[in-house]
Amino acid sequence: MNGWTGKALRINLSTGEVTHEEIDHAILKAFLGGRGLGAYFINCEVSPNIDPLGPENLLAFCTGPLTGTTVPTSGRSSLSTLSPLTHTIFDSTSGAAFGSRLKWAGYDALLIHGRSDKPVWLEVNGDGASLHQAHGLWGKNIPETVVHLAAKDSAVVCIGPAGENQVLLAAIMDEKGHAYGRGGVGAVMGSKNLKAILAFGKERPVAADPTKLEFVEYEARKWISASPRTSQGLPEFGTSVLVNIMNNYGVLPTRNFQDGVFEQAEEISGERLREQHLIKRSACLSCPIGCRRLTKTDNEKGDGPEYETIYALGSNLGISDFEALIEANYLCNCLGLDTISVGATLSCAMELAERNLLETDLRFGETTHIKEAITDMAYRRGVGNWLSEGSRRLAERCGAPETAMQVKGLEFPGYDPRGMQGQGLLYATSNRGACHLRGNMLGPELLGVPKMLNRHATSGKAGVLIVMQHTSTVIDSIGLCKFAGFAIGDEFFARLLSAVTGEHYEVQDMLTAGERIWNLERIYNLKAGFTSADDTLPKRFLETPHTKGASQGKVVQLAPMLKEYYRFRGWDAYGVPTPQKLKALGLVDIAQEATNA
Amino acid sequence: MLDQFQMFGNDLFLRGLTSSHGGNMSVRMGDRIIITRTGAMLGHLTETDLIETGLEENDSNVMLASSELVVHCAIYSNTSALAIVHVHPPHAVALSLVEQDEIIPVCNEGSYCFKKIPIIQTELTTGSKEVAKLASHWLREYKLIMLRGHGCFSTGPVLEEAYQWCVSLEEACRVLYYLRTLQQAQIALETQDVKAIEYRKHSDEYKSW
Repeated sequence: MNGWTGKALRINLSTGEVTHEEIDHAILKAFLGGRGLGAYFINCEVSPNIDPLGPENLLAFCTGPLTGTTVPTSGRSSLSTLSPLTHTIFDSTSGAAFGSRLKWAGYDALLIHGRSDKPVWLEVNGDGASLHQAHGLWGKNIPETVVHLAAKDSAVVCIGPAGENQVLLAAIMDEKGHAYGRGGVGAVMGSKNLKAILAFGKERPVAADPTKLEFVEYEARKWISASPRTSQGLPEFGTSVLVNIMNNYGVLPTRNFQDGVFEQAEEISGERLREQHLIKRSACLSCPIGCRRLTKTDNEKGDGPEYETIYALGSNLGISDFEALIEANYLCNCLGLDTISVGATLSCAMELAERNLLETDLRFGETTHIKEAITDMAYRRGVGNWLSEGSRRLAERCGAPETAMQVKGLEFPGYDPRGMQGQGLLYATSNRGACHLRGNMLGPELLGVPKMLNRHATSGKAGVLIVMQHTSTVIDSIGLCKFAGFAIGDEFFARLLSAVTGEHYEVQDMLTAGERIWNLERIYNLKAGFTSADDTLPKRFLETPHTKGASQGKVVQLAPMLKEYYRFRGWDAYGVPTPQKLKALGLVDIAQEATNA
Repeated sequence: MLDQFQMFGNDLFLRGLTSSHGGNMSVRMGDRIIITRTGAMLGHLTETDLIETGLEENDSNVMLASSELVVHCAIYSNTSALAIVHVHPPHAVALSLVEQDEIIPVCNEGSYCFKKIPIIQTELTTGSKEVAKLASHWLREYKLIMLRGHGCFSTGPVLEEAYQWCVSLEEACRVLYYLRTLQQAQIALETQDVKAIEYRKHSDEYKSW
């Protein structure tokens, strides 16, 4: 078998049992791998009614058929679970080398369930896996843990103190800042008493059709090197290139989304990062783009920050002190925290403090207490214990749920939807909550990819968004990076997939697989109790327009877009996939299995 | 919506990619289609030239819609396309009559955009179920196809993209036409070898795209 290995390794942490399993080829072909394969396992094995932090929950690390190959940007893998933050099905993709090593060890999936009595770390190799006591590691931060376990031909991912303390914003990370970042996946790992996973592997996959792959890869690299986004903007400035662009469009979230323009954006821009803090660029495995940054402050050095972190710990907190922002980012990386949700929860706390609804020293624009607050979140100390559960729970506890900028419990990324109608629809309909990676409307609404659409228009956005959602699902499932999509499109993805696996995927077959995965995730969330009422946005976006900037006077006109969206998807008026749609996607049996589970 | 149809329709006509009353365009809106009226002048579209009808079930407007409606419906039913443009680019049509299975561009833009454009052939070339079946099949894999002797069907997520492929196709075919004319006349060639100078790595693989 090419592309896929057809093998899963299952670990029961309660019993210590390790088993090898075959994965049905038909399943791999239908769900592609990565996010799609993870969605399949979660649907089949995890009841949506369990406690996500209980032993029944599953951590499904899945590689895509292209993961660890020579294909540009193919260093990505996916982790699926039931999120303790959102209680939705959840997947988080990462550029950590761990995914490629797992693939090179010979596995499409590493399935971890149960709970160890004592802290352990897991070693995975081509022969299987072994568990080791982790007493000496428990309590260590991310870099300390990785340094302790690092070995040749291997890669480590682990949790920090935040994951150990089951903080709902905890990530699973490596030492370079790569993260399975969102949804509290680190808390799930912590709940299992699993500190780290070390994957040994060096058997690189062989493509089914190397000649075809060489040709398609060559053409893909030509496009990547020709696109100004992937050959200039991202390599030169990293994702922070977006700070000034978003500010100019009036969609840079500022002071908990109370503004869309940050007066001091220039101080935390990509240009400033390059001038004053950049040590060198870096890239994930097999990536010719190289958007990652190794940076420094007067006191420290480390990885990042990404654009999303700059928004979350910068403009959205009213902070323009770049040194303080960057060091807060380093601190999150060390403690194993999702910087987006941490920043958005801090901004919620600041607004609550302004309204005298929360007793805290946190204030917009002030950096004095930021590091202390982040540390308290990781260790669940004082008010930090409240903050450690995310903005929704915090705001509800303080009696002001409208101050939480979240959908389905997941905090927003750095694009205010009042200036991008399609992006608003994307946030409302994403299967894992407010996420910018579940379909890319930034492209058509702000960057002109594939074509520039009127960002304030609503008509027709549903159809375009659905196409984008399917493409992004495919990218997550085959093991590529979303940024590849800035330069190459579906026809490339299908041909790369075909050349590597030897299975002929028409472009439409591949997109239908994306639609199948999207609907499977939807079915799971419906069984978890979500309804169309959850496909919504905070009132702030629906009722309160900005008073300045290029997006002033606009709110998200969600209702007509949502109605159109359901119709376009072939769902009923309540957002439920119709039996005809399930049949067309081959999901009838799986939907039934999920019901039985 | 109308302004988009007008802009691209007018441009297609002025570029000579279709005759005064030829060609058609459509967009998909869920289970509905908005398509140009049969016999509409793409260069001068008005509100009454846009016809809305069902994708799965025709309604009374079907008799006003373009004769290629059946092809558009089949394409939407079998692909993720949200917009379709059908025009008759003269150089592309001419080339479709001398090439066997596909047109392979030699210019940079055509090479980047298409690698190759499949040619399909049917006995009934306008509004037939045969065209609908073949076109919707090939457009699952390619964004643009040629119907031999007739014209192209181009798809995209938005009308602008489907329009763009038509323009790029005709330009690529015009370059091919010029090249072959030069080769035939042996203009500016120092030797008797009339082959074009290859500048693209892997171009011999384009046929397999």
